[in-house]
Amino acid sequence: MGKYIIKRTFFAFLTLIAVVTITFFLMRSIPGDPLAGMARALPEETKQAFYAKYGLDKPLFEQYLIYMKGLFHGDLGESIRYAGRPVMKTIAETSPISGLYGGIALVLGTLTGVILGIVAALNKNRWPDYIVMFIAILGTTLPVFVLISLAQWVFGVKLGWLPPSGWGELKHMILPIAVSAFGSVATYARYVKASMLDTLDQDYVLTAKAKGLSDFQVITRHVLRNSLMPSVTIFAGSVVGVFTGAFVTERMFAIPGIGFYYISSINNNDYTMVLGTTVFYAVLFIVMQLVLDIVYTLIDPRIRVSGKK
Amino acid sequence: MKKFLSVFLAAMMLASMAACSGKTNEENKAPESTNPSTENTTTPSESTSSGPQYYNTYLSADPTSMDISRVSDSYSSTVTNQIMEGLVRLEEKDGEYVIAPGDAQTWESNEDGTVWTFHLGNNKWQDGQEVSAQDYVYSLQRSADPATGCPNEYFLVPLVGYNEVRDGADVSSLGVKALDEKTLEITLAYPVPSFLEMCSGTIYYPQRQDIVEQYGDQYGSEQEYTMANGPYTLESWVHNSSIVLKKNPNYWNADNVQIETVNLTILQDGNTAYTMFEAGDLDYVGTSESEWVEKFSSRDDTTYVQFATAAVYYSFYNAQDELFSNANIRKAFTLAIDREDVNEMCFGGKNVAATGWVTPAMAVGSTNYREYAGDAIQEMYDAMNAENMTPKDYLLKGMEELNLGSDPSTLDVTFSLAGTSEWFRTYGEYLQQVYNAELGVNLKIDFNDWGIFYDNVQNGNYQIGYMAWSAYYNDPYDVLSLFMSTNDAIETGWSNAEFDKLVTEAQSTLDEAKRLELYKAAEDILLKDECVVNPMMFPTSNSFYKNYVTGYSYLAFTNTGYKGMSTGGR
Repeated sequence: MGKYIIKRTFFAFLTLIAVVTITFFLMRSIPGDPLAGMARALPEETKQAFYAKYGLDKPLFEQYLIYMKGLFHGDLGESIRYAGRPVMKTIAETSPISGLYGGIALVLGTLTGVILGIVAALNKNRWPDYIVMFIAILGTTLPVFVLISLAQWVFGVKLGWLPPSGWGELKHMILPIAVSAFGSVATYARYVKASMLDTLDQDYVLTAKAKGLSDFQVITRHVLRNSLMPSVTIFAGSVVGVFTGAFVTERMFAIPGIGFYYISSINNNDYTMVLGTTVFYAVLFIVMQLVLDIVYTLIDPRIRVSGKK
Repeated sequence: MKKFLSVFLAAMMLASMAACSGKTNEENKAPESTNPSTENTTTPSESTSSGPQYYNTYLSADPTSMDISRVSDSYSSTVTNQIMEGLVRLEEKDGEYVIAPGDAQTWESNEDGTVWTFHLGNNKWQDGQEVSAQDYVYSLQRSADPATGCPNEYFLVPLVGYNEVRDGADVSSLGVKALDEKTLEITLAYPVPSFLEMCSGTIYYPQRQDIVEQYGDQYGSEQEYTMANGPYTLESWVHNSSIVLKKNPNYWNADNVQIETVNLTILQDGNTAYTMFEAGDLDYVGTSESEWVEKFSSRDDTTYVQFATAAVYYSFYNAQDELFSNANIRKAFTLAIDREDVNEMCFGGKNVAATGWVTPAMAVGSTNYREYAGDAIQEMYDAMNAENMTPKDYLLKGMEELNLGSDPSTLDVTFSLAGTSEWFRTYGEYLQQVYNAELGVNLKIDFNDWGIFYDNVQNGNYQIGYMAWSAYYNDPYDVLSLFMSTNDAIETGWSNAEFDKLVTEAQSTLDEAKRLELYKAAEDILLKDECVVNPMMFPTSNSFYKNYVTGYSYLAFTNTGYKGMSTGGR
């Protein structure tokens, strides 16, 4: 197992270098420059002075080497768009905020979704199933901005219970969490239901029933454990998503999270910010994949056995 | 100098947003207020409610920084305008612009307007230190220094020594001197009629050398790295979420600052702003969407303020392109557009059909430019009718001159739009229909995001482009100079010696009547003779204030800010 992890870590490192390199050169091949979105077209000398300030006047490959050197020292540079804001600091300050509301939403949403999925599977083609599937379809098809607008209007304007937008107090967190959780509920309910139904048809479930176990025992000991495998896969992806924020949700609720930077930095040609957020995403993603592989071996004996060969 | 929209944002605004630059700057050529009692612009009404006043408003994007030497976005200047004080402020009195004292209580210039002396009052920084002339010298030198990389420094072009500093000379050769602790002297290379208005812009604000050096590159990037000398101090700044401003007790004119706290939510989503306004969480909202305008204007607790922005929406031609090198062809494409129809079809009738290139918000001294120069577009139609021509006749004439035959449907014309949203798709289809019906041209539309669009334009890789431009300061020079051959802001590849001469001469002409004459002559060349640019819309912005908000300005370029406002009747 130790050797396996070392090997995986090494490859993860290579992957990261590849991601940074590709992003660096791809980003620079996009037409436009960081000054374009800032203001009026500037006199040539002004542009040159600005580029020199950010080292953009050097040959591209030299810039790449400087960037990589900084990266190995844990320095992601300074944002080009936002004068004086170190990229590292921005990520360190904003990702925990995305992680906080997103994490709570993910946990609540996943638990609710799993329970609803189980309920739906056990009541297949009866009314609880229909209700759950209605929620699930709503949750996956309704665009998030529609859902948010609706929530803001109902709870903020019509009922007046909660502030429609804003950040800083507990009351501001309720709507974003509810809206974000709604998506998870929908996703997990569908997945769990499908895999539950699949598992219920397996021979070993029949065997367990034949042994005379009660329905409760069959479900908790045999069905659930096997049904949750697909959920684990998507859960790992969701965790990465939580720390990288949700652009629309954060924008509409004025949440100072990291989601904003993923989209805007590309539009603004904020090279250092694009690279910084990409590195962050890549690291999270790679680490989660590693964790996922380990978790698989814990919950699925078949993988554990084959892994020991 | 106006806190400006970046052209990019102005273009975005077309599609959905309200004019977002003017939260503090609600401008109006012809106030159309539903509640005349709030048209009080100079003296805030006395407080009628107990408790300190507060004002809840929003910004449509996070300011990039509070370091005036390193930013150029309108959101930054909206906030720096509150926390900083420059030499003078451009304010409104009885519907006209006045230059009001700021740090400088009095000022004078020599005979030809090239040497300006400012006498500073007793304003203090938020930490209690006196604002000195040296703070101004340091600030201007820092902005002019190429090592700072200031994207706004071209506003310093008129200063003596600017070019030398640009080319590497020591910053001390810049024409700015502290004669003593409280006396500042600025020397210009040539007379600039609108110099005092320029001085009210952010780039002319003072900076504290000790503070800038203490924080280095991080200066201005966070609340704790700022130093205020204006009506407000920066109380907190959560990026992409909120900004809180608190009244600055050290401000020289603090007695006249009514609002104690300003809460700015950073709302990039227009719909959220509308919802918050409805929920009572905002005291102000701006929109250009018809359904929201109708909804808000029917509210009893709300004052509806319509104002002409300092922007213009226009298409422009690449004069280096084979086809559009011909003035008759450009004229055909300009006159084929029915501006009223565009307004109805694409903007819900909320804007005003353009009547020239210089926007109606602009004045030369106290004379409104557009009132003086008249409707240049209508005059073009009149001339066309007098010649018994149609836009298509101009096109055919141009095609003949270029030996392109007489079938417009064979022409290969691409119209570039800087947006990919639904609105731009519809707009593109509209243009295709109009040009097909009027000229028989089969137009192609090229949709791109702003960065790519602008790159193409700057590289001359386009035929017709469409953009929005928002003026920076209140003088027609600001927008006319864009088409001088030395300026590459809008890369039309067009140049005209006569036009250059007129604009250059106007720039340093102190006599207002003469200046108006020169500007009009230049605009006539640009539009009537050469048709380089096709002004389409003067966008109108629609602002809604809760009735208890008073003291906002109606003029486009004022920068009084929250200083002049009151929410006493809340």
